[in-house]
Amino acid sequence: MASRNGVDRRDDDEVCPVCKSSRYLNPNMRFLINPECYHKMCESCVDRIFSSGPSSCPVAGCRKTLRKNRFRAQTFEDIGVEREVDIRRRVMHILNRREDEFDSKRNYDDFLEQREEIIANLVSRIDVAKTEAQLQAYASENMDSIRANQALEEEEASTFQARVTKEQEEARQRRQAERDRLDAERREMQAGREDFLSRLASGSSADAGKIAREGHKVLLKKSSARRSEEDRIRQKQAALRGSETKRTGTTLSSVEKSGDSGLIKGLRKIKTPEPEKPYDPFMGYVPEKRDYYTLKQSYPSGYLDRIRNDPQAQAGGYDLREYYSRTLLEAFAGLGVFVEEEVTRRDVSQAAATEGAAVAVEE
Amino acid sequence: MIEDDIYRTSSQFRLWSYTEASLRSLREKTNAIASERVRAALRRAKEAHQSTTSANGTPQTGSDGEGKKMDDKEIDCLTPEEELAFVRFYCEKTLELGETYKPALPTMVRATAIQYLKRFYLTNSPMTYHPKSIMACALFLATKTDNYYMSLRQFAEGIPGKKPTTQEEVIGPEFLLMQGLRFTFDVRHPFRGLEGGIMELQAIAEGQGQPGPHLTHQTPQQLQQKLLAISPGPVRASSISDRIGRAHGTTREILKTAAQMTDAYFLYTPSQIWLSALLLADRPLAEFYLDTKLGGPLTSTDIKPDPSDLQNPLYDLRTKLLRVLTDCSALLQAYQPLSSDPGQMADLQRIAKKHHHCLNPEKKLAPKRTPAGTEASPAPASESETERLAKKRKLEAEKARSSQDIFGPELVTERTKQ
Amino acid sequence: MAASPFASRSPSMTVASPNTLRLRAGVTDWPPRPAFTSKPLAKADQELTEQLNEDVRQKYVKDKKLGEGTYAVVFLGYLRNDPASKVAIKKIKVNAEYKDGLTMDAIREVKYLQELSHPNVIALHDVFSSKDQNLNLVLEFLPRGDLEMLIKDSDIQYGLADIKAWMGMLARGVWFCHENFVLHRDIKPNNLLIASDGEVKLADFGLARSFADPYLNMTHQVITRWYRPPELLYGRDNTPVPWTYDQISKICDAFGTPTEANWPGVSKLPNYIPTDPASIVPLQGREFFYRQFPTAGPVGADLLMAMCSLDPRNRITAVEALRHHWWTIDPRPTRNEDLPQKQKSGAKKMGDDLSRRGGQIDDGPFKNAARQLDFGAMK
Repeated sequence: MASRNGVDRRDDDEVCPVCKSSRYLNPNMRFLINPECYHKMCESCVDRIFSSGPSSCPVAGCRKTLRKNRFRAQTFEDIGVEREVDIRRRVMHILNRREDEFDSKRNYDDFLEQREEIIANLVSRIDVAKTEAQLQAYASENMDSIRANQALEEEEASTFQARVTKEQEEARQRRQAERDRLDAERREMQAGREDFLSRLASGSSADAGKIAREGHKVLLKKSSARRSEEDRIRQKQAALRGSETKRTGTTLSSVEKSGDSGLIKGLRKIKTPEPEKPYDPFMGYVPEKRDYYTLKQSYPSGYLDRIRNDPQAQAGGYDLREYYSRTLLEAFAGLGVFVEEEVTRRDVSQAAATEGAAVAVEE
Repeated sequence: MIEDDIYRTSSQFRLWSYTEASLRSLREKTNAIASERVRAALRRAKEAHQSTTSANGTPQTGSDGEGKKMDDKEIDCLTPEEELAFVRFYCEKTLELGETYKPALPTMVRATAIQYLKRFYLTNSPMTYHPKSIMACALFLATKTDNYYMSLRQFAEGIPGKKPTTQEEVIGPEFLLMQGLRFTFDVRHPFRGLEGGIMELQAIAEGQGQPGPHLTHQTPQQLQQKLLAISPGPVRASSISDRIGRAHGTTREILKTAAQMTDAYFLYTPSQIWLSALLLADRPLAEFYLDTKLGGPLTSTDIKPDPSDLQNPLYDLRTKLLRVLTDCSALLQAYQPLSSDPGQMADLQRIAKKHHHCLNPEKKLAPKRTPAGTEASPAPASESETERLAKKRKLEAEKARSSQDIFGPELVTERTKQ
Repeated sequence: MAASPFASRSPSMTVASPNTLRLRAGVTDWPPRPAFTSKPLAKADQELTEQLNEDVRQKYVKDKKLGEGTYAVVFLGYLRNDPASKVAIKKIKVNAEYKDGLTMDAIREVKYLQELSHPNVIALHDVFSSKDQNLNLVLEFLPRGDLEMLIKDSDIQYGLADIKAWMGMLARGVWFCHENFVLHRDIKPNNLLIASDGEVKLADFGLARSFADPYLNMTHQVITRWYRPPELLYGRDNTPVPWTYDQISKICDAFGTPTEANWPGVSKLPNYIPTDPASIVPLQGREFFYRQFPTAGPVGADLLMAMCSLDPRNRITAVEALRHHWWTIDPRPTRNEDLPQKQKSGAKKMGDDLSRRGGQIDDGPFKNAARQLDFGAMK
C-alpha cells in the first residue's frame, strides 16, 4: 500500500483545510503542498483553484501566489522539516563549492559554516530579504561554476550508482563461482574417492597407504589450480576497476573566475586558461619572413643557365628557387650582427652565470 | 632582423666569434701553456738523454757540454705573433694543395679547411702540433664535411712531394683536429652570399629589382635608374651588367684569399665580409647596394636627405654597419700574401728555424683509434717504459725534421730561392 | 622589425666560450677556477683545447646503458650539477671497416645537429671526446619511444586528431631542416622519437646533407627504401636492384604511371623504365586518396595527394604542406599531454634507435609496409 509520493499517511480522518472533505469519506484522497507557503490541501482543490493559472493561496491569511506545477506530495510529516529540507536543497544547489576549490581546509570549513548559517537564517526567517539577495547575486555571478559543479555531482552520483551496481554484480558472480567451485570439488572428491576405493580393492594391502597419499595429493593439486585461476580472475577484475575509475576520473575544469559578490572567502585563485588560439602549424615561427630582401621567383645569372635548361635536373626535382633562397639568405644572415659588441656582452653574462653557479654550489 | 637571428644560431657565431681583444688573449693563453710544456718536455728529453749516455758508461763530453749550454740559455719559444704568421703560411699552402688535385678541390672545401686550421690553432699551438701534419688532415676532413667525397687513398696519392704521403699520416691527427674544432664542422662562408647579392644586383640592372621589405617605396625602375647613375667604378666597363660581373670576380678573389688568411671569420659575419670585399672591389656599387637595403645617403652630405630617410628605421643600423664594414675592408685590404712579400718571407724563415728548436718532442700525433668496445686500457706503463717511449718519440721527431718533406719548413727555403 | 622566433639553445646547456675559461694551471697569475669545475683530471699538462674538452666532459655523468648497436652505445646521463636532469649520451663506435677516419654518418650527424635548434629536432647539447678517442654526443633524452612503436602497437588507439598532432610535429621538424637547407634523407617512423612531454622529434641525421647548390650530384641511394620518392628510384644507377623495379611498379599501381605527360622529362632520368602503354595506370585523383584514406577527410585527402605527386615539381613542399588548411579545420590536433602513449620501454627504444646506423632498419622490414600509410585502417 506504499504510496508513490512519499510517506504513507495513516490518519484516516484527515480533512482538507480548503474544501473540508475528509479522507474518511474519500480514501483515495491525496494531499499536496507548495513550497511557497507549505499550506496543505487536497489534490482536487489544487486542480480546481490552480488549473486556470496562478492564484493566491486559499488558506486564510496567506496571500502567497501559487502555481500548480509546484505542488507536490509531502515527504516529511512535519511540515517544518519539509520546509527546511527544501531550503537546504536550494541553498546547497547554489552554494555548491567543492573542497578542492579552496586554498585551505580552514577556508572550506568556514564556507560550510557560512552555508549552514544561511540555511538557518532562511529557516528561522532571519534577515530573509538580505540573505536571499545575497544568494541571488552569488547565483547570477557564478552561474558557470555552479553548473560545472552540478555536472560533477551528477557524474559522481551516476558513477557511484554504476559502481554499486557493478559491485553487486561482481558479488553475485563471486557467490556463483564459489557455489560452482564447491559443487565441482564435491563431484571430484566423489570421483576420487570412488577411484581410490576401486584401486584399493584391486591392489595389494602394501600399496594402500601410498594410494591413499596419492589420492589426497591429486585433490590438493586440483583445488590449488582452481584457486590460482580464481586469483587471476580477481586480479583482472581489479585491473578493470582501476582502469575504469581512471577513465571516469574527473577532469576538473573550473573555468570562470569566482564571483565578485565576495560571499565566499578563501577560494583558490583559478587560473583562467586563455581561450584556445587557433592551431598554428608553424608554432610561432614565421616561415620565409625576411627583413633585408624580398625573394623573387627568378634571378638573372649566366652561371645558372645550363642547369635551367637541363631537363634531367628539372625532372629530377632540382629547384633553382632553393638556390636563390639560400644565396639571398646567406647574403644577409648576420649583416646586423655586431660581433664585437655581442660577444663582449655574451662573455660578460656568461662569466657572471658561471660565478653565480659556483656560488650557488658552494652554499 | 630575422636573417641575423638565423645567423646567431650557427655554431660559427656561438663558438667561433671573438672580439679582437678576446682573440688576442686566447692566443696568448694557448701560447703560454704550450711554451711551458715545451720547455718542460725539452728538459725531460735532455735528462733522459743524459741518463742513457751515462748508463752506457761512455760519457761523451761533447753532449755534456751541449746539455749545459741548453740549461744556460732559456729555450726560446715562439711568440703568439710568430705562431700566427707560421700558421698563416700553412693556410696559404692549403689553398695551393687544394689546387693540385685534378680537378681542383672546390673553393668552399679549401676555405673550410683553412678555417679548420685557424680554429684549431686558437687553442692548440704549432709548437705542440706541427701545422704541416694538421694541414692535410684538415683538407681531407673538409672534403668529408663539405660533401666533396673522395677516398683517403685517392686523397693521399694526390699530395705532391718527393716522399709519398701515407694515408696514416693524413688521417692520424683527425680526432685531435676534431677536438680542437670542438666538434663543430659547419663553417659559414661568404661565397654563397656574394652570389646572392650579385644576382640581385643583376636583377636591378635589368629593371627587375625588388625593394626590401622595409623600404617598399622604391620601384624597380627607380632602383634601375639609381644603379645606372652611380659614379664610375675602378675600371671601365662596357655596361652596368659587365661592371657587376667584374666586381663579382674581384670580390670572389678577395674572399678566396684575404678573407681566409686574416681573422675576418672570427671578427665579422659572412655578410659583412662579402660586402666589405665588394666595397674594396667597387665602392660606388657596394654603397648603392647598401642604400637599397638600409636606405639613406651613405656618405654624401651635399645631397639633401630625403624626408623618408630621416624616418629611416634602419638609420642606426646603417651607421653602425658602415663603421664595421670599413674596419673589415681595412683588414682585408691590409692582407699581403706571404709569397709575394720578401720581407714577410724572410721573417717566416726565421720563425721556421726557431720553431724547429721548440717543437714539443713528446707530442706525437694521436695514436690509432681503438674501437669503443675494447676500452680496457693497458696497464699503466712503468717509469722506464714511459721514458723509452719519450725517447722513441723524440728520435722520430728528429727524423721527421731532418727528412725532406714538401710541407716542411723546407718549402720556405725553396720559395725564397726562387 | 619582426621579433625573432628563433629560440636560443637550452639555457642550462650554454656552451662556454673559450673566452670565459680561465687557465687552470701553467700560468700563475690566473685566479683559481671555481671549486665545482676543477675536477681531479685538470692537469697542468693539458693544452687549452684539452681543457675545454674536459670541461664539457665533466659537465655530465654517464649512467646506465640504454642500448647498443653496431654504430653506437647509448647511455643515460645527467648534468653533474643537476642530477634531476636527463640526457642521452651516444658514444660512437669506431668502424673498423672504414679506414678513412670518422665515418660520414657521425660527421653528418654532428655537423647538422650542431646547427639546428628547433622543438621538433632532437637537440644536441654538447659533444666531447672521452679516453681512447671516442666521440660522445650529448643528446636530448627522449624516453617515450618512437612513432613506429606506436604504429605497430595494436593496443594503442588513436584517431585523426592524434595523427594530425604527430604529423604537424613531423612536418615542422622537416620544414625547419629545409628552412636551414638541410635534407634529412631518412625520415621514417623509427627516426621520430617522442619526448616525455609528447613532442615528436626528428632524430638520426646520419644521412643528412645540405642542399641547394647547383651542379652537385647527390646520391640517390639514400632514404630507407620504402620512403624513397620515385625520382630517386629513377636516379643514376647502373645496376638496378630488383626491388627498385618492384617498388616503382608498386608506386605506379597505387598512384599512377609516370609519363612525359604527367611528369615532363621523366623519360630522361637515367634509370627510367618505360612502361608498356597498355599497362599505364592513369594518375589517381582526389577521390582515390579520399577512398584510400577516409579518416583523413576530403581536405586531408587533398593534402595527401599533393604530397604524393609523382612529379617532384608539383609535389607540395614542407612549408606549403604546413600552410594547407587541413591543419585549421576540425578536429583540432590533440594537445601533447593528451596524445596516446606507450607506458614502458621508451628509453630502451631510444637507445636502440640512436645506436642504429643511418638508413638501417633495426628488426627487419615491416611485414606490411602498406599498413604504415593506411590512415583508413587506423581508428
